[in-house]
Amino acid sequence: MKSKVQTRLFIALLSLIMFAIWATICSGQGKTVKVECDVHAGPCRAHISGTKVSLDIEPKPVKAMHDLTFTVTFAGENPVAAPYIDLGMPGMNMGRNRVILKPAGELVYRGEGVIVRCPSGRRIWKAKVTIPDVGSVEFVFDVIY
Amino acid sequence: MLSTETIYFVLFTTGLTVGFGHCIGMCGPIVVSLSLSLKGRSVVVPHLLYNGGRITTYGLLGGVMGASGSFTRVVASIASLQKGVMILTGILIVVMGLAMAGWIPLGVIFGDYYNPQGVLSRGFLKLSEARSTGTYYPLGMLLGLLPCGPVYTALLAAARAGMETESTLEGLLIGVGLMLSFGLGTVVALLLIAKLADLGWLKRRDVIYKISSVLMVIVGVYFVIRAVRY
Repeated sequence: MKSKVQTRLFIALLSLIMFAIWATICSGQGKTVKVECDVHAGPCRAHISGTKVSLDIEPKPVKAMHDLTFTVTFAGENPVAAPYIDLGMPGMNMGRNRVILKPAGELVYRGEGVIVRCPSGRRIWKAKVTIPDVGSVEFVFDVIY
Repeated sequence: MLSTETIYFVLFTTGLTVGFGHCIGMCGPIVVSLSLSLKGRSVVVPHLLYNGGRITTYGLLGGVMGASGSFTRVVASIASLQKGVMILTGILIVVMGLAMAGWIPLGVIFGDYYNPQGVLSRGFLKLSEARSTGTYYPLGMLLGLLPCGPVYTALLAAARAGMETESTLEGLLIGVGLMLSFGLGTVVALLLIAKLADLGWLKRRDVIYKISSVLMVIVGVYFVIRAVRY
């Protein structure tokens, strides 16, 4: 009887872990391009499926644990939905930190967000810009602590 | 935008996933130290209390974030406290390591030799040797203040959710709820680590304890260095 309960608990725990792994893996969307850039010097630029995309973060220099304004500009047609940015650390799950962007002009979207500080001392962060139905691009940059 | 129910679920799964990655790396040494300091006694209740304390602090911080709706302002006001907690944690791990191997007479160092009824001496002894199971709850509350990237991210979500509410009370309640969801998610991984570090089944533990003591001292010193640089 006791072993049956233990087996069921083990299966439940395993299912929970599998779900957590699945949720992490499935959090990405479509094709992603990686671009390294100096976000302190000016906007970061890239192409997604031929569409020019730029990301700018203000104020500069870009500091962790400060209120930041993210601006995404791109060329082409209006997207089916507003783009968004997922902030994270390469190779480390820091939790979901999504910056919701709102229209701020012709093909210009803007939103507020915070890059949190990691006590490990690692300063490399990434901003994954997703334009629905177009694709994603990851800008990798360092931040000031 | 996600609905409130969805955010609760997202934060719980975030806690679950970062628990098995980030938390094991960052909080693992603390959990292992606590398990080892129990010297073969059951780890379940003490660690449930430790996690309960940790989640309580998360809930309180979430409440403040949700009520104020400002992440950066609240975090800036507790930054010094967090640094202090990080240094204290490092010292605590070093002391626990040295005491576990019997390399330091805690009673003499912390004044019990002269004042065995001293509040400070008794309090520190309880924390460092964790003789009383009940001390794990306040210890968890204290260690819940440790700076941590995923906790910051969850607090950011609590502050954002609080900003969208119509009253301070509603923001406070949502902030508490979201951080409790996140905290509960992290418990699974830390309890597993606590159980893995439970050496109660070993017949010959002396050598293991000596090796663990050295590792705990190294980890404690690393914590202090990291805190000074933070």
